Amino acid sequence: MRLIESILGFSILVAFFLLGAFLHKVGLPIPGGVLGLILFYLALSCGVVKLKWVERAAGIMLRHMVLLFVPLTVGLMEMGPVLSRQALAITASLLVSLAAVLLTTGLLGQRLLPAMRHEEAPSAEASR
Amino acid sequence: MSLTLILRHPAASIALTLLAYALAVVLHRRWRWVPPIVAACLPIVALLLLIREPYATYNLGGNTLTWLLGPATVGLAVPMFRNGKLLRRSLPMLAVVVLAGSVVGMVTAGVTAWLLGAPLPVVMSAVPKSVTTPIAIEVSRELNGIPQITIAMVILAGVLGASFGRPLLRLAGVRDYRAIGAAIGTASHGVGTASLLRRSELQATVSSWAMAAAGVFTSLLAVLLKLCLR
Repeated sequence: MRLIESILGFSILVAFFLLGAFLHKVGLPIPGGVLGLILFYLALSCGVVKLKWVERAAGIMLRHMVLLFVPLTVGLMEMGPVLSRQALAITASLLVSLAAVLLTTGLLGQRLLPAMRHEEAPSAEASR
Repeated sequence: MSLTLILRHPAASIALTLLAYALAVVLHRRWRWVPPIVAACLPIVALLLLIREPYATYNLGGNTLTWLLGPATVGLAVPMFRNGKLLRRSLPMLAVVVLAGSVVGMVTAGVTAWLLGAPLPVVMSAVPKSVTTPIAIEVSRELNGIPQITIAMVILAGVLGASFGRPLLRLAGVRDYRAIGAAIGTASHGVGTASLLRRSELQATVSSWAMAAAGVFTSLLAVLLKLCLR
């Protein structure tokens, strides 16, 4: 049963991805995966898709997402020249921007969020 | 000779990738500091160099796995939806905060690379570097960047943010939990979020929501950027 449940969930994810990819093809400039995400979020919010149909499949995909970007990352093996020529620009851009995002979001969050009521969070989910 | 012929079959690259990934997971369980992505890629690169096959041969099968990043992106809606329900009242403000962080991240990454004389494709590869890998790859492609460079930057943003994010925020006087969660999720996506999970569930919930929201905002903002450049 678990396997069937995962396969059903996976099919739903693929269907939403294909829908997003189709809308991207016919002219919407947002990437297909993100369009699929937005549509899927709406479908969950209005109850067209039940969370329990997709929970297991999405959990598996998110937990093992690293597997899915291995092939592209292996492609770095042919980028040696670009990487070494642009090493300074890439490193500096990474560090400056990382610090800027952390500080902007953190300081602004500190200013704006405490006004809200404290809420309990019984569970959390992380994914890569 | 015949061995190389078998290895050229697309199924062989898929099997090789699965095997390397399984090995990487085992290594990561044993030694926490080994990043799975590095442990999975190194043996594949070593093998390709050893048998003198170009990346293109390997990627015939590799492509199949890359395609699955699309449905995985869709799957991000699940934690976003679940955590969104828990954070209901804070969501509008949280969205504003994450949006601001995303804009700052894209602008500072692009401008810094550009000021240091990087060519346009490298500048564009830097722009989506804060968001989760599958979305960053798509945005990089849309902007005519180089997805491989984006991936390398995304991974580093995750690892560095997970280790130095909290100390930096503490130094700047950020103490509110949700502010810390929002900052780490916006800057260091899933890798940062996973690092918070061990400390506080509420923080990780905020971070997980922020990560998905930053991905969506960044792809929408990239559309604007593309229109401005045209």
